[in-house]
Amino acid sequence: MQNTNRLQSSNKVLVIGGGLGGIRTALDLAEAEKDVILVDKAPAIGGLMTQLDRTFPTNNCDLCTLAPHLSEGSRQKHIELLSLTSVTDVKGEKGNFTVSLKTAPRYINLDKCTACGACYKAFPECVTFTPGLDHRAPTCMRYPQSTPQAYAVDLAKCSDVEALMKVCPTGAIVPDDLGRNQEVKCGAIVFSPGAALFDPSHLDYLAYATNPDVVTALEYERILSASGPTMGKLTRPSNGEQPKKIAWIQCIGSRGLQKGSGEYCSSACCMFALKEAMVTRERFGDDIETTIFYMDMRTFGKDYELYLQRAVNEFGVRLVHSRPHSILQPEGETKLKLSYTNDGSTQQHDEDFDMVVLSTGFKVADDVKVLAGKMGIDLHSDGFPKTEGFNAHATSVPGIYVCGTFEAPKDIPETMVQASAAACLASGDVASVKVEEDTEDLFPAEREVTGEEPKVGVFICDCGENIGSTVNVETLVEDALKLSNVAVAKAVGHGCSRESMAIIKSAIEEEGINRVVIGGCSPRTHQEKFQDLLKSAGLNKYLLEIANIREQATWVHSGDPAKATAKACELIRMATAAAVKAQPLADYTLPMNKDVLVVGGGVTGMTTALELADKGSKVYLAEKTKELGGVANKLKKTLEGANVQEFVADLVAKTKAHENIEVITSALIVDHIGMPGMFKTGMQVGRQMFYRQIEHGVTIMATGAKPNRPKAYMLDECDKVVTQIEIQNLIEEQPDVVKGWDNVVMIQCVGSRIPDNPNCSRICCQNAVKNSLRILELNPNARIFVLYRDMRTYGRQEEYYRKARAKGVMFVRYDLDNTPQVDAVDGLVDVTYHDPILGMKVTVSADCLCLSTGLIADHDSNEELAMTFKLPRTVDGYFLEDHVKLRPVDLPVPGFFVAGTAHSPKTIRESVTQARAAASRAQTMLARDVINLGARVARVDKKKCATCLVCVRACPFDIPFINADRYSEIDPAKCHGCGACVSECPAKAIQLMEFEDDRILAKLEELFEKVEA
Amino acid sequence: MENFEPVIVAFCCHYCAYTAADMAGTQRLTYPSNVKIIRVPCSCKVDALHLVKAFEKGADGVYVAGCLKGDCHFNNGNDRAASRVAYVKKYLEELGIESERLAMFRMSAGMGFQFAQTAKDMTEKIRELGPSPINVAKAQLKGEAA
Amino acid sequence: MITAERKPLEEIIACVAPFRKVLLVGCNECVTVCAAGGRKEVGLLASGLHMALLQQGKSVEIREHTLERQCDPEYVEELNSLIDGADAVLSMACGCGVQTIAGRYKDKPVFPAVNTKFMGASERQGVWAERCQGCGNCLLGQTGGICPIARCAKRLMNGPCGGSTKGSCEIDPDTDCAWQLIWDRLKALGLTENYVEMIPAKDWRTSIGNGPRKIIREDLAE
Repeated sequence: MQNTNRLQSSNKVLVIGGGLGGIRTALDLAEAEKDVILVDKAPAIGGLMTQLDRTFPTNNCDLCTLAPHLSEGSRQKHIELLSLTSVTDVKGEKGNFTVSLKTAPRYINLDKCTACGACYKAFPECVTFTPGLDHRAPTCMRYPQSTPQAYAVDLAKCSDVEALMKVCPTGAIVPDDLGRNQEVKCGAIVFSPGAALFDPSHLDYLAYATNPDVVTALEYERILSASGPTMGKLTRPSNGEQPKKIAWIQCIGSRGLQKGSGEYCSSACCMFALKEAMVTRERFGDDIETTIFYMDMRTFGKDYELYLQRAVNEFGVRLVHSRPHSILQPEGETKLKLSYTNDGSTQQHDEDFDMVVLSTGFKVADDVKVLAGKMGIDLHSDGFPKTEGFNAHATSVPGIYVCGTFEAPKDIPETMVQASAAACLASGDVASVKVEEDTEDLFPAEREVTGEEPKVGVFICDCGENIGSTVNVETLVEDALKLSNVAVAKAVGHGCSRESMAIIKSAIEEEGINRVVIGGCSPRTHQEKFQDLLKSAGLNKYLLEIANIREQATWVHSGDPAKATAKACELIRMATAAAVKAQPLADYTLPMNKDVLVVGGGVTGMTTALELADKGSKVYLAEKTKELGGVANKLKKTLEGANVQEFVADLVAKTKAHENIEVITSALIVDHIGMPGMFKTGMQVGRQMFYRQIEHGVTIMATGAKPNRPKAYMLDECDKVVTQIEIQNLIEEQPDVVKGWDNVVMIQCVGSRIPDNPNCSRICCQNAVKNSLRILELNPNARIFVLYRDMRTYGRQEEYYRKARAKGVMFVRYDLDNTPQVDAVDGLVDVTYHDPILGMKVTVSADCLCLSTGLIADHDSNEELAMTFKLPRTVDGYFLEDHVKLRPVDLPVPGFFVAGTAHSPKTIRESVTQARAAASRAQTMLARDVINLGARVARVDKKKCATCLVCVRACPFDIPFINADRYSEIDPAKCHGCGACVSECPAKAIQLMEFEDDRILAKLEELFEKVEA
Repeated sequence: MENFEPVIVAFCCHYCAYTAADMAGTQRLTYPSNVKIIRVPCSCKVDALHLVKAFEKGADGVYVAGCLKGDCHFNNGNDRAASRVAYVKKYLEELGIESERLAMFRMSAGMGFQFAQTAKDMTEKIRELGPSPINVAKAQLKGEAA
Repeated sequence: MITAERKPLEEIIACVAPFRKVLLVGCNECVTVCAAGGRKEVGLLASGLHMALLQQGKSVEIREHTLERQCDPEYVEELNSLIDGADAVLSMACGCGVQTIAGRYKDKPVFPAVNTKFMGASERQGVWAERCQGCGNCLLGQTGGICPIARCAKRLMNGPCGGSTKGSCEIDPDTDCAWQLIWDRLKALGLTENYVEMIPAKDWRTSIGNGPRKIIREDLAE
């Protein structure tokens, strides 16, 4: 974004914070053609995530999942990235903010620095990064895929500046850099500064400050990380030996009221600890025992319960429901002693550990509070912002939106969803800026390679531990060098890092490489990135083959390095043989249809429809029932007290009145064809079931979920047994009945977290707390017992859980081996449960038994829709997103997005957020005028065609036809590229581009060459 | 043929089995390294010729892995693939190769575990069958020549 | 179109087993359309033969080539450069193609790899049905466009036999009775009087009955 007029205009969004959320927000806005300034006070963007080794629930390495996003960011013409920059003041109002920025000196000229690392090598030991653990150089690149790709100098830590300057081959070090102060204008601000971590140094009973073997979870993550201080070797900081027993203690700095703790739950730490324990077990097996001491195991996210079960059952992670008070190290001993009591027993256990990891929670950093004050946004006492009941992003200042861990503690997928939602809101405040797509500028002209002898360059990644720890990459390189046509073979470290990309690019240019093979990870995630690399090196992007040696060799054969190496060599050989046959291809494009189909007219569907309609798209909102509103029609108030009925009524009125929205009720989707940008969906509408077809460019799945109603605990057998939704109605509509109750029992996890439906329904714990508090408001003398397995009142809900306990609600834990017994006696319900503290059975004669039955996927409806739209689902029937971590709203079928409870159980507020996120993601597609269809199309050799009609009949989409020149013609703009005609053609007259026969046969030939020889 | 290590080719649909293989990787589910994947956009892209050629070149086992019934991105490519596999199995019998050496499997993108299990099962089955008669014949021929 | 089906592999192997170098020739016309002898089937057979012979301890070199139309001598000339390198020719064309090659290369043994079946039409993808026997004297004008010679097992000329049951032939319930079809169609056309009219006994001399046939177009023939 270089244009001066654009820089001075206020028609842009300022994104404060370049963590994962800020990057996502900036990218969404830029792809929707909004101008963005992204500021981050660190030398490189990426935030907290760059310090993580692996992330749950995929246990992927983060750097490689994050890397594509970062380079996407710097490539966007709509984004101006200001690193080392902090916001010092904000003035003005929505539509016209003036923001003062202060850029700290980097002491390195970004234009000159090539990130060669000479300065780092010469002066490695001047500064430490994370206290006590991470040794960093004065010139610090935080991670290998850093953006911007340049070092930064900490001048204060450097004793000999002259010498440092001399080391730099390009003369990029400028010690007299003064930084810069500037004012910028913008129309909206997305404030996503992220969260800081609780510092446990002052808690002397945890010995964190005094004992090196007590570390925080993030420090442990760094120890595990291949790019960390120990280069991925797990050792005790005190003596350098590998630990045998490691303990995690949860809720350090969260769920507390004393010594600086936050009252809230930090939401992500349970999964974080499980992941660390699991990765440890995975790498070291039975050599290291892992134990997690927890208060409530809060694995409430999508499929997280399955992750918990895997950790315990498959990886042998031990869970202890207890909170050890202190960590002791008796005189003369090297081990750390934990004392704790276990469920249902007063006996104290002592256990020794080699290392203790503190799961420290999130908090708001002091400088963020100060800046929030300057912006004038209202904060809670703990520093997190106050936001609207049904809009998690709107602050008290119009035009300033929040997202990510600053909005409230959360994990990465939820941060990604919120970031997109914030982008959706901010983009409504500024106008689009069309930038001429100047591809010439981005990529050099393509080199003509037809006729040239194939010259293959093979580049092999070690991907840190992911490939390099199982196989020796040099062995693969040597093997590749033996292959014919291979001109260059190289190990390139993290192949997707900027540095490695530059190496590959120059190798292509200097050696005249005309075919490229990457030995690395899945082409599903990285093909596009390497295709761009080829383009930037002047090669056609289809002259590429990727050997997936990570997913298909090192990750799955890590136990047998010799076999993994042999297989990786074979995969690279196959890819090389196929690459030799690769030919340059051109992409096909078509105009984009900007209309939208939203399936499902609940709160989620209506919110998405309104957002997109406001931005100018024609929206068809198809609802299968007769009215809008969905499950929210049954709900009264939220935990925080917001009125659901008013909110829904307002949404329905707005939706019906919007000129760009056509509501189609009683709509049953029956068929679907087309491709992103040009879908056609057929539905039967109304009582007469009239058939109607809608043409649209994108599809939003907002089909919701159903309240579960399992046959359990006498539900539907005894009229005293109700669900949370029903008790809520009693509270609102029949308060006199509620006032007459003496005893109320609630049972949690009914129909959830059981073998038939293993996942957590997420919403029930807060519902139990909400309804308990409401009952006590009406009837302060009622005695309420909540029988639970883990109370999962994550984030700020914890406040209400505490309030409920303070008001006398009895929370009693049960487990699956000891479930409550229910009996109807004399017009009451007797509930008998085991009380672990009393150590005995207790029977309560309840006036009302309320079951927390949660949500369940609408199996019948989802199955039909999944079939029609070809969408994958999770085992429990929810739609499965493209990437559970980084693309939680995008479905794997391009042009499809999912939001609300169709994705997984969630609250109304969370559904609204995801609805906006879906709108934002859809907007990135709708902003385009053309859709790229790729080059994978069937091509007919007219000389071979026998006009037999086999292709005409075989095509699932009726594309081929026999033309006037009497051969089969296939319109590349219509071909879906499945290859059905190709493999059935009896004359072998059709080839599928990118998957030509000779390419497939070359792979087979190469694979078996060894066998033949 | 002691320590027989079969070579098995798996033609995997990009949308399901190939993704499931990635998932198996992500979850670190080990399976025998004997299975080598060739990615195709749809299982229906797998030509009868490729299946036969794989055996000719030296495969001990071959399988095609496509989407679950009704889940094909191209309407019914997986069913087409299944009937083609059935047809080629007959041909294999005709030319003296046990038809169990060729198989069709169906799985969805999320089924990493099934991918690994299928790879295990298939490898086990081929191990029981021993080397492909084609490879035995090739070895014999080479032995005589030497 | 002429239809054909690949012979059992065993039979083909018996033919080519004595030879070391075999030229396998496909045809891009009828046999391609009926998936019996086009480029694809040539590839499959070459691969299959190679494997089957290997198991008999034989390594046979098979060259593949598919001609535009094997029953035209000019196209067959394409084989000139390949024929010397072959001990025998295996043809996947119909009998016409096999004979054209045999006639052109007198010193090379030529074997058919397919059984030529009939003149048929495509019912749907992968299904072909017999429609014409080339009798040389077409009656379709009288029989409502349905041939009783090609489609009646008994070649009856004047109505069905007693085995016609619910529209099916007594030989195979899946085969339609040709005369039922003829009747239905005549009825639909309002031409049932055609049915009443006697068709005289067929003179088979226009068919194979009078020996091999030939067509000569004097204006075209040189």
